[in-house]
Amino acid sequence: MERLKSIDEFQFLHDRLISERDPDSPTIIIPAGTCGQASGANDLIRITKRELLNKKLTEKIRLRITGCHGFCEMEPSILIEPYGTFYPKVNPKKMVHIVEAVAKGDVLKDLLFIDPKTGNPIEKQADIPFFKKQVRTLLCRNEKIDPIRIFNYIENNGYLVVAKMLSSGNPRWVIEEIKASGLRGRGGAGFPTGLKWERLANQPNGNGKFIVCNADEGDPGAYMDRSLLEGNPHSIIEGMIIGAYGTGATKGIIYVRNEYPLAIKHLLIALRQANQLRVLGENILGTRFSFDIKIVRGAGAFVCGEETALIKSIEGKMGEPRQRPPFPVEKGIHGEPTSINNVETWANIPIIIGLGAQEFAKIGTKENTGTKIFSLVGKIKNTGLVEVPMGITIEKIVNEIGDGQIDQISIKAVQTGGPSGGCIPAEMFHLPIDYESLVKAGSIMGSGGMIVMDEHTCMVDVAKYFMKFLKEESCGKCFICRKGTQRMYEILDDISAGRGTLEHLGLLEELGSVVKDASLCGLGQTSPNPVLSTLRYFRQEYVEHIQKKRCPAGVCKDLITYTITENCTGCQLCLKSCPAEAIRGEKKERHRIDSKKCNKCGVCKSVCKFDAVETR
Amino acid sequence: MNPKHIEKIIEDHRSGNQTGLISLLEEIQAKYSYLPEEALRIVAQKMGCSLVELYGVATFYRAFSLKPRGKHLISVCLGTACHVRGGDIIGAEFQRQLAIKPGETTSDKEITLETVNCLGACALGPIVVVDGHYFSNVAVQKVKEITHRAKAGLDHIDARSDERIFPVEVSCPRCNHSLMDKNRYIDGYPSIRVTVSFNLKHGWLRLSCLYGSFSVDYEYEIPVDEVVNFFCPYCHAELQSSSICTDCGAPMVPLLVRGGGMVQICSRRGCKGHMLDLTGINL
Amino acid sequence: MITLHINGLSVSVEEGTTLLEAAQFIGFPIPTLCHKDGLSSYGACRLCLVEIGEGPKAKLVSSCTYPAEEGLQVRTSSSRVMKARRIILELLLGSCPQSKTVQDLASAYGIRQQRFKQEYENCILCGLCVRMCEEQMMAKAIGFRSRGEKRSIGTPFDIQSEDCRRCGACIYVCPACQLRCTYTEPERVICGGCANLPAPCLEKEGFDDMMCYMAPCVACEIKKD
Repeated sequence: MERLKSIDEFQFLHDRLISERDPDSPTIIIPAGTCGQASGANDLIRITKRELLNKKLTEKIRLRITGCHGFCEMEPSILIEPYGTFYPKVNPKKMVHIVEAVAKGDVLKDLLFIDPKTGNPIEKQADIPFFKKQVRTLLCRNEKIDPIRIFNYIENNGYLVVAKMLSSGNPRWVIEEIKASGLRGRGGAGFPTGLKWERLANQPNGNGKFIVCNADEGDPGAYMDRSLLEGNPHSIIEGMIIGAYGTGATKGIIYVRNEYPLAIKHLLIALRQANQLRVLGENILGTRFSFDIKIVRGAGAFVCGEETALIKSIEGKMGEPRQRPPFPVEKGIHGEPTSINNVETWANIPIIIGLGAQEFAKIGTKENTGTKIFSLVGKIKNTGLVEVPMGITIEKIVNEIGDGQIDQISIKAVQTGGPSGGCIPAEMFHLPIDYESLVKAGSIMGSGGMIVMDEHTCMVDVAKYFMKFLKEESCGKCFICRKGTQRMYEILDDISAGRGTLEHLGLLEELGSVVKDASLCGLGQTSPNPVLSTLRYFRQEYVEHIQKKRCPAGVCKDLITYTITENCTGCQLCLKSCPAEAIRGEKKERHRIDSKKCNKCGVCKSVCKFDAVETR
Repeated sequence: MNPKHIEKIIEDHRSGNQTGLISLLEEIQAKYSYLPEEALRIVAQKMGCSLVELYGVATFYRAFSLKPRGKHLISVCLGTACHVRGGDIIGAEFQRQLAIKPGETTSDKEITLETVNCLGACALGPIVVVDGHYFSNVAVQKVKEITHRAKAGLDHIDARSDERIFPVEVSCPRCNHSLMDKNRYIDGYPSIRVTVSFNLKHGWLRLSCLYGSFSVDYEYEIPVDEVVNFFCPYCHAELQSSSICTDCGAPMVPLLVRGGGMVQICSRRGCKGHMLDLTGINL
Repeated sequence: MITLHINGLSVSVEEGTTLLEAAQFIGFPIPTLCHKDGLSSYGACRLCLVEIGEGPKAKLVSSCTYPAEEGLQVRTSSSRVMKARRIILELLLGSCPQSKTVQDLASAYGIRQQRFKQEYENCILCGLCVRMCEEQMMAKAIGFRSRGEKRSIGTPFDIQSEDCRRCGACIYVCPACQLRCTYTEPERVICGGCANLPAPCLEKEGFDDMMCYMAPCVACEIKKD
């Protein structure tokens, strides 16, 4: 790969790549992010390569392997350009037929996506309601780009903004544009990015300023950042180059959690290619501007997503937060000024500078501009990543994009903001999604995890789950968070085991409010949110656990028993499937479950064809 | 555990795109499957930090283990989405069947069980990862099967019967002479013959032409982890591309594929890094 | 010089003074547990919390680590502060009831009972011993390990440390064990009075000849007499 010595050479390369493109040639696009690979995309890729080689189609049909597109429910899927044909849940055995059809220009109608409302097949991805209702500013690029090929990124106007920005020679302008766009940090707190950068720019240069990409997406249930890092790593790099130019930073760090091996792999490849091409490193594109990025891996600590703990972790110490002031922009890594921003924030930067701040601010609301990617998961028909304009209602996401509940079980609540957030009940789904409204409702926007819960989810169990997570992830430095989360978990455990009292509820609220006030860092300060919000909206579930010693959703193990009803035909299927060997019974006779051996795993219920297993 | 190896890892770490003490510890753990006490003492000495601090770091982060791990690692995801779909029941079942708690290893040292807080594949929960292989939508009945497959080794592929494995015909990217050798067969197909050199030795190497099989035959025994130079036996040009292996960092060896494309394999003995690109894709 | 307002009174202090020092300077009492003059501030026990700021943005911060700011409004005994202190003391009683320091603090605030499951831990992780060992004795033989519930203090690999000089400073400064050994006679630094509770370092089972990071432990040496 040749090194580009000037901005003109870059422009020349960009124009050449565009001219070499053939917009009419068919391309098979296979999303192979972690989800895609987990559902078998690698098999599809192998078979496609085999077919293209054997049938000598390599000149006629192109193959592009990309990151996640977002419709995870339908993985492994295939997209055909330029027609936009979408094949969901592709069986490896059918792959051969698809390749054949693409060669002929045909569409295989029986393999298309079926609209659940009309029963009719939909050919184009853009027409499918899941995609149609979104505003996919960031995610749409994942389809067009092979993450490990930098030329592919440049072909799609990647790094063009960097070239234009370097030609203009005006760093201050970058800061003004970001301020004017109204972009707020996508990591959860929603602090205006432009303001943070302005503060960093005003700091003296000293030993060099840092900008950091916080890719320690620790919220369980949230994986938007993973899909951006795996699918489009160059967009983050480009964003950081722009940020460094605007703020005067000389060193960049991307802190990635080590549970994302594919993201780390793609980032390393992308960094190497960017350095080779000279859009990163010393004297970028022949100008006097130098900036380099290194990767620091996380090691399994949720608390390291917090700014000050992140700094400690980068310095190679235990990830313990500290009090602010001094803020990281004043004293950060090794005492130098540091600005830490989330992955999605960085991904938005090239778009803002490219489109212009005014254009960007047209989407969303006045105080909350732009789009936000949410990971819609849980008990909902269409799980996946959805990108929507800020200010959209929860109802629209859940029902129009997510297509509502599974089977007959109605949706009860939506949990946002991960372990720092709270649950919003179905009656409040008319709320718009913006930073302020969610806080008022007792939750937070967080990084964008949106977990849907239905009648079979026990809210006490949910609060207990989050408290267990938080007490294990707490760094343990400050007494109130360490002991507070531990004691709150103890109480919730008692309640879910039938040992709760009504005084416990008052104690939870009192303890929760003190933990909120007195904790050192954000983890502790938001740790009571799941408990307090479920107590606020679902108090009756708690009361039922305490007074009637009953779990209405049928989840808390100590409060339910599995029994077999008269519907039992004696087919012995559950007997054979029970991992604890707790079922006894003769053929054609009603079986019995030994409650002492039963470990409440639920296998018998799932295999029974006669609906004869009940939980009480 | 060889102290020289640890010192080399520290040296290599100073250059390179990753930085930080934690990345260094992760590399040591990747090699030894845990952090030996001796290794930590060497790191503390070389990196100039106190042993107390280093020990604190090694115990603070969940990813590190100070005890040796089993041959296979089973990770159960305990993220919220997986939990809502029954993830903890899967975790409990693994614990029951293997008779160990998370973080522990079975007495026959075969399997280590651990729990992870969200792998980011939330739409496909519950997720279980075994030695880097992902299993999605795991049901309780599948737990036994997964344990069996883990013990058998998931990287084991039957080259003959697996549909995803197919033969490729390659030639030298410089002189375009075919590298196929019909006189020696591997895996039931003509092998690929190249010349290799390492440690002042010079001899032939034959590879299976099945894409996905890693069978080799050689004139001289090549030690594992050794990086070897590849040459075309006809024009004698060195086969080297500008790409480096994403798994181990060694240079990749390019071979032109008949039908349009380039296959690249890692030049390090024992490393399975490889890539197949079809024409029409630049770089 | 920076002027700030504590409980309505104005006070001028030098730059770099913490709120705790400023409050102590004009005589407002703030309870502390993990703070000691001569050692760096840590901010772990959360007892020294004070309320700063006005209106909805008012928040609680640990006064031992917060630097004085021009014009800052500080309240050392507001209702929010008192509520927090009481719960923290209740939690302390729930975990470490045998420590006389904790008992004294609790009774000073009128706390007679605690509503949680009773535990008997002998370390509250205030970190005084760690900072004493590192900053005053320059040994750095002990430190924190793990996190959350499993957080503890000890030597690397739980074996005898070559850096430990058996000075006993860690035991001297510990609020959970030192005053326990003082029993009812504060003049005697270490006695064997609390016969029903051994010194914390002796409780580690399986450490026959190596009790804790000090061998032999000063407390058990004197007990032999």
